[in-house]
Amino acid sequence: MTSPALFDRRLIFVLGKGGVGKSVVSAALGTAWARAGQRVVIAEVANQHRLSDLFATRRVPRNTPTELAPRLYGYSVDVDKATEEYLASHIRVRPLVDLLVRSRAFHNFAAAAPGLPELVTLGKVWELAVAIEDGRPVWDKVIVDCPATGHGIALLQTAGNVSELAAQGPVREQAHRIEEVVKHPGATGIAIVARPEELPVSEAIDAVATLRADNFPVAATIMNGMTTRRFWAEDASALGRVGSDDPAIEEAVRAALRADHHARVEHEHLRELTVGTYTSPIVVPDLGPIVIGQSELSILADALDGTARAAHPAVRP
Amino acid sequence: MSIPRLEDRRVIVCCGSGGVGKTTISAGIALALANNGARVVVVTIDPARRLASALGLEALGDEPRQVDIGPTGTTGELWALQLDAKATFDRLVRRHAPSPDAAQRILDNRIYEHLSGAVAGSQEYMAVERLNELTDDPRFEVIVLDTPPAQNALDFLDAPARITHFIEGKSLRMLLSPGAAAGHLGWKVLHAGSSTVLSILERVTGAQLLRDLSEFLAAFDGMYSGFSERAERVRALLHSPRAAFVVVSSADDEPVREAVMLVERLTQDGYPLGPAVMNRVRQRAECDPPPRDALIEAYADAGAGHPEDLADRTLAQLDDDDARARRDHDACARLARLLGDRAPLQVPDFADEPVEIAGLEHVADALAP
Repeated sequence: MTSPALFDRRLIFVLGKGGVGKSVVSAALGTAWARAGQRVVIAEVANQHRLSDLFATRRVPRNTPTELAPRLYGYSVDVDKATEEYLASHIRVRPLVDLLVRSRAFHNFAAAAPGLPELVTLGKVWELAVAIEDGRPVWDKVIVDCPATGHGIALLQTAGNVSELAAQGPVREQAHRIEEVVKHPGATGIAIVARPEELPVSEAIDAVATLRADNFPVAATIMNGMTTRRFWAEDASALGRVGSDDPAIEEAVRAALRADHHARVEHEHLRELTVGTYTSPIVVPDLGPIVIGQSELSILADALDGTARAAHPAVRP
Repeated sequence: MSIPRLEDRRVIVCCGSGGVGKTTISAGIALALANNGARVVVVTIDPARRLASALGLEALGDEPRQVDIGPTGTTGELWALQLDAKATFDRLVRRHAPSPDAAQRILDNRIYEHLSGAVAGSQEYMAVERLNELTDDPRFEVIVLDTPPAQNALDFLDAPARITHFIEGKSLRMLLSPGAAAGHLGWKVLHAGSSTVLSILERVTGAQLLRDLSEFLAAFDGMYSGFSERAERVRALLHSPRAAFVVVSSADDEPVREAVMLVERLTQDGYPLGPAVMNRVRQRAECDPPPRDALIEAYADAGAGHPEDLADRTLAQLDDDDARARRDHDACARLARLLGDRAPLQVPDFADEPVEIAGLEHVADALAP
């Protein structure tokens, strides 16, 4: 794996702006680790239902790990149900729990109470990460496909916020335990995903700064969707010298120059991400206008693994 | 329906899944309307200062700032602001609290700090509050609203109700004083006054968190009706013919699917639809690729080191470009079909991202053919 920092963590949060491909990157990371023999679960935290599309399986049921590929499982966090479980574990008097969860008033409250849905979601993910069976961890890797940047950061910060808000009591204790794991650089790694465009990159840079300032372990940045580079500086100068009045040739030259320009812009964004985050981003290639399925995930997993890096022209110096 | 036809609308809401370029399209719509003579303000909500960079502004504050769009030859004006959820919430509290003391009590409450700050949902709610403020501002004829990034692109329609419920404390007041919940069987069974319920909750939250919560709700006492009145006012405006929802998509599968879901949900809930916009559409080349030999010859004449290799790479590029353009074209057709044969407005994929006014002008032109 190209990023040792990601490799040795158990709990991985995949964060980034909407549309950068967090779900695809989560699935590709999962694919890479699962085929290396690890037991992996990918948690969808907000009804994304992207995993079932990517792996062409039936919809991942809520709160039950479901096998997507050998050793690779999907998990969909159901906040309502997780809240109920959470209360049950603390209140222990079942009729009282039933009363609470049957009441609409309670659900209204729970849905809007500051931080509660996030805390419960994070708690669920934490449970997966610390689960032990027969003396060994149930999951070698727990990958969390986070909501878009702002909401994703709010999710990560929620444990700290809650333990600050509640001076004592089980909520505080649990929030504190969760926070310890989520901020522990030996246990947790946050991977920030961007695309080679201005806004996703600036959002990624801001996110890395915010998370670092808050002592969250940023373990990797990932540049997803880098176009395979086809033209180079010496090509551009030759292309610039073509003097033909054949419209088909003019169009061809324009297309080549456009592609070259596009690749330069993308590399400039890669440089910005590198400089702006003090990281060396993992580059994931653009696969073109195709529907991503398991075989594409395996190509992307190669890129994440680093096995394809040397061969891939997108990262030729 | 092109964008200038929307100039009689008071509010235009841009929605769509993340990454499709909603902010750019919002700014493009606002610019198109300003070019057409309207006084427009565009509200963006994203924390990453996206509109700021799209408009080439360094710091876009919570207050509307006029954007220099050059001479339009009309009375049109473009203003922009970035939503600051906390500032909006603070202002709201100061304005509507029964007394300055009451306002301060709320602002100092620790629950409030978290509610008004980072917590997901408050942004959506404050977007609606900000919209409300701007509708009272005589400087603006049209308000273009970019929507916050969310799991569900329409979260922002539901957020006001959710947060209003919470602040109004209907639910929590039931928990804290079951008397208010008379008629609700479950709570009647729980009978014995607040102590039982409270003690259950207390076991989980600790006493102090609950105390903070009830203080918070008590501080809002007297403001409840104001919250629901404003939420209702915005709801009515957004359902009226004076609003239009513009659904934005890109040609990728996921955004198209989301766009269709959005249109269905908006229609079902009675919101007025404007045009759909397909962003970053690539056009197919106007002519077929040149014969390989002709291209090799042209490259050899230009002194290329390896004319054959360069020709092959060029032809491969043309092939890829065409595949993408065909995919984009198909996506437009699919979206049109799914929307009942209403063709989306197409904004081309520009060689450079439109992050300056000059670039936004191209977007505006595409939206106002």
